[in-house]
Amino acid sequence: MTQTALLLLLPVVAALTLCQRRRLIAVIGMGVFSLLLSAVYLLAAAPDVAVAEAAIGSALVTVIYVLAIRKTGRLVVVGCEVPGLLGREGKRVVGLEHDVLEGFARELGLDLYVQFVPRESIEPALLRGEADIAAGGLVKGDSAQELCTTPVHLPTAKFRIVMRKGAKPLAEFGGSRGYLSDIVEAVRHKQPLDVTLDLARFMTVSRQDLTGYEVERLPEESAYTFLVNPNRADLVSKLGAFLGKMQEKGELEAFIRRHMS
Amino acid sequence: MSVHRSALAVYAVVLVVAFCGILLALFAYHGPDESSGRDYINRGVGDTGAVNLVSAIYLNYRLYDTLFEILVFSVAVLGVRFYLTDQRASDVVESVPESHVVRRSADLLFPLILIFAVYLVVFGHLSPGGGFSGGAVAGSGLLLCSVALGAGVVARRFHERVLERLEWTALLAILLLALLPLLAGRPALYDLLPRGTPGRVASGGSILLYNLLIGFKVFVGTWVIIHFFIRHRGEI
Repeated sequence: MTQTALLLLLPVVAALTLCQRRRLIAVIGMGVFSLLLSAVYLLAAAPDVAVAEAAIGSALVTVIYVLAIRKTGRLVVVGCEVPGLLGREGKRVVGLEHDVLEGFARELGLDLYVQFVPRESIEPALLRGEADIAAGGLVKGDSAQELCTTPVHLPTAKFRIVMRKGAKPLAEFGGSRGYLSDIVEAVRHKQPLDVTLDLARFMTVSRQDLTGYEVERLPEESAYTFLVNPNRADLVSKLGAFLGKMQEKGELEAFIRRHMS
Repeated sequence: MSVHRSALAVYAVVLVVAFCGILLALFAYHGPDESSGRDYINRGVGDTGAVNLVSAIYLNYRLYDTLFEILVFSVAVLGVRFYLTDQRASDVVESVPESHVVRRSADLLFPLILIFAVYLVVFGHLSPGGGFSGGAVAGSGLLLCSVALGAGVVARRFHERVLERLEWTALLAILLLALLPLLAGRPALYDLLPRGTPGRVASGGSILLYNLLIGFKVFVGTWVIIHFFIRHRGEI
């Protein structure tokens, strides 16, 4: 009786497992299937086989799959922290670009994993294949040629903040290199500075007292973009299509209003 | 790197030679066994001293088959090591931060899993279980830890290098145990140890010893395969 019930349950669990979109749930479904199967073996008076099935089928294989999808089932994003675009609130990652990428990852059936690195480590990380996508206020045209950029998704402007009275112009910040927090710290201590910042970073810095600094809006047009690992050319078109769809539905506008105002 | 590879090649040659030796010894001493399944059931406990007939068959009557299963497993582990040694080791997967809950539960569960695995191995000739299942359970425990703590941390904490040496020692011990009866003037794979009282832990002749060695071998082998894939390919 119990055995019949378990045997009937097996194809049901198998079908449910196959229907899952998220890989982790599918893997857990496989583990449940193996556990049921081992119960069937036990009832069929084959306890040795049941133990082996439980140990290998539902424990070992499940753990191996979990380890595997932790690497391949993730959409790995590298980026520097930029409040509004890709920021941190406690342990949570928030921001406009995060919301966009989260939606994109969900559409692909992957888990989003964001890794924060300094600006200059972003391109090397992509080229080494350690990440799929780079984000965090990346401005079109700033990056190496061989990296694919997605179609423009958000216009921005460049602002130049200058104070040249000290001998040390803090050249290490040149462009938008380094951590944004370093620049904010420099402004707070009124250190000499010569940096060009994008809109989101400028908004963060401008919360500090900028007297003594010359601020200039550069006339050129610019836009934020995502960078994509050159080996993942499939992601460029998929992300482009996803952004296009968001723009059509007006979701992108809603995101921008929520995060940037 | 080349020294490492040649050491692996020596291991492979030693393995093949040892198993050919067993093969020859068997052909010299052992004729075909024509007893039927009914005979196993009627005489199993008396012949082997093991209450669990499954263990009695695969570690006594059919030990020959089991040795080749161990060979298959060892060659698989060797193959993974041999072909992945050339690949660049990566540190990408090393530091995946896992939540406190996962890490603590792995720490709490691992000793329990290990105890259960040891139980399966030690009582393999009395109740369901045995070296293969026990080793797989312990291996999954170690993998659970590597999910929670990162494979690099686990490799350091459990002295991977020492474990790997011991794995080959275990294989050698299994082969010696199988060939030892030849020195006593008996056929290879003959069980020299006393049968004991069926139902006691100290019974079943060499089955307990084989289970312990196989359990350890499977435990380390599982871990080596997975860790090599993680370290050298960054994925499974």
